[in-house]
Amino acid sequence: MSIVLFSILLCVPLAASVYCGLETRRKRLETATWIASAITFGSSIWLAAAVLEHTTLSSPQGWFYADALSGLLALVVSGSSLVTALYSVGYFRRLAREERVSSRETRLFYALFNVFVFTMMFVLLANNLGFLWIGTEATTLGTTFLVALYDRERSLEAAWKYVIICSVGIALALFGIMLTYFSALHVVPSSANALNWSTLVSVAGQLDPAILKLAFVFILVGFGTKAGLAPMHTWKPDAYAEAPTPVSALMAAGLVNIALYALMRFHILVHRAVGGSFVSTLFIIFGLLSMGIVIPFVLMQRDYKRLLAYSSIEHVGIIVFALGIATPLAYFGALLHLVNNAIAKLLVFLSAGNIRLAYRSKIIHRVSGAATLVPFSATLFLVGMFAVTGWPPFGLFISEFTIVSAGFASGAIWESSAFIFFVTALFGGFIYYAGRMVLGPVTAMQSTGEADITTIILLTVLAVSLLVMGIWIPEPLRLLLHRAVLVFQQ
Amino acid sequence: MGPGAQTISQYIDILAAMILVTAFLIVSSRSLTFYVRLFSLQSFFLAAVALLVAIGYGEMHILTAAILTIVVKVVAIPIVLNKITDAIKVRKEIDFTINVTVSLLICGGLVIVADSVAQPILSAQTGDTLGVSRVLPASIAMIMIGLFIMVARKKAVTQLIGLMTMENGLFLSGLAITYGMPMIVEVGIFFDILMATLILGVFMFRINRTFESISMDTLRSLRH
Repeated sequence: MSIVLFSILLCVPLAASVYCGLETRRKRLETATWIASAITFGSSIWLAAAVLEHTTLSSPQGWFYADALSGLLALVVSGSSLVTALYSVGYFRRLAREERVSSRETRLFYALFNVFVFTMMFVLLANNLGFLWIGTEATTLGTTFLVALYDRERSLEAAWKYVIICSVGIALALFGIMLTYFSALHVVPSSANALNWSTLVSVAGQLDPAILKLAFVFILVGFGTKAGLAPMHTWKPDAYAEAPTPVSALMAAGLVNIALYALMRFHILVHRAVGGSFVSTLFIIFGLLSMGIVIPFVLMQRDYKRLLAYSSIEHVGIIVFALGIATPLAYFGALLHLVNNAIAKLLVFLSAGNIRLAYRSKIIHRVSGAATLVPFSATLFLVGMFAVTGWPPFGLFISEFTIVSAGFASGAIWESSAFIFFVTALFGGFIYYAGRMVLGPVTAMQSTGEADITTIILLTVLAVSLLVMGIWIPEPLRLLLHRAVLVFQQ
Repeated sequence: MGPGAQTISQYIDILAAMILVTAFLIVSSRSLTFYVRLFSLQSFFLAAVALLVAIGYGEMHILTAAILTIVVKVVAIPIVLNKITDAIKVRKEIDFTINVTVSLLICGGLVIVADSVAQPILSAQTGDTLGVSRVLPASIAMIMIGLFIMVARKKAVTQLIGLMTMENGLFLSGLAITYGMPMIVEVGIFFDILMATLILGVFMFRINRTFESISMDTLRSLRH
């Protein structure tokens, strides 16, 4: 059964990308992409149910593997892909109507979008940590042309910076993986499975702590670059701001979590091998640094897509901070925050995309009175901004509250206080700008109108699920989260 | 280690030294054509090390990696890079942010740092010392020099060569500590590298068309 499931999850997006590369009719490109995404999402639900029942799944030769952690992440990533695929339909139709996108660019988008989904699923299902590396580098390569889709000066510059910085980071991570392999060869008799997660995790206690410490530094810098942890975050505002809206949304809701997933796997491994507070301290430092470093950039921001990119850096910091606290409650908070953040990022990026299409500008002071000109998108954007800043009654409030209580309970008083301070300061910045954009006086500038009804319904569903997550976590999801926490502890 | 293995190990040491020399020559080079040729030469020496390890120590899975190195890094990537630099008529001189003398001094320092990083790893090799582990300091130095080239040289092509030098250093350190990664992983890594070169190559064309120069100095409109 597992082999069927793995094949569907990997082959469907791959087949869809090949099809989109050969197809030219817009309608078929759209249909193929959203159907492929829907199948992937459906299979991810199946995968999550299967890992709840069997704890782990493994393909016959052990190349692919899934447990509750990969099941949860697959659900988040494929769900985000489905939402973005559906949004892309309206988005590119509108651009095509305004003759701002060529049919070649549309085809390239749909083909690469599916490649992007495939590479992310590949990382999540890989058992071999070498494959995990290959998949992560492939996500960078697959998204490069998506970032530079419009072929303008600024997007080329952003994409170049993105691919160069992330490739260097990921090269350093490869050295870390080599050191892990080196250490594992002393313990595992067969070199064929010495890089397999399922093998490594069972012998983690016997690995050489000194080597794994060194390996972890390289891995943290490497995958941290990809996740956008400060101070390796510099590519992120550029890439997120210049990429087409659906691409930035999927990067913020999907790709970020791929890098975090890799960090989590090595966190578990190295924490077990080294013990003590080595891993935790590094995570808390990088987490707080990422939250703190964005404050000046948020408070003095002119571009609202860059504003959202800094929000993404902040939330990666929050999740990494929570992993650093390293108690079961903190792990639960981190994973819950990962889910909430993905939904919230989709909502704010996609609604901001509607505002951008209406105003044809991503400069904050040129967008004023959005509530009058594009009432639905503007309201959803404002709701999203309140959710993103951790305002009750939305889901992110609950997860941030969980993380902070776990921090205080574990005795990290100063660190948790800094966390509260950063979150509060950022709340001020984000709401000030969002408020100006949505509620400011209507200026004379023209608007090209509201998005279509399907898009609005899609975004409303996101907003409602954030609200639901703030009041009550659905039982199957809660169970999956608890099982994923067990992966950290077993 | 038998006398035969000893000889092979000496050859490997000499080749590792040559690889490091090519890295230093790249740092001191002023011409783009020379950059690409040196990179090709460096990859050739690297392939020779891999061949020696494969045949000399009977680690036949490295043979694939050695052949891939020759096909991809010695032949394919240099051809692609030469095509690009010819087609976009880039000025063949290198722009420096740090001049040659200071660069060489910094890289000399990096070699010393690399040695101190390598020592704890080497001392963890209890008993079963590999014949190639002595090249580990050189390989870590290559990773660092590659990073340095990316920071200190401004052209898009030189950034790519810096990245590839890092990759070569990584490959060599993999050989040094574990006789390389499992074959299937190695093949995947080569595929990624080739894709990266092609993608960055296409980018150079596009950047050239839009900016009419591929110096990274022109790429400065994005800040904050």
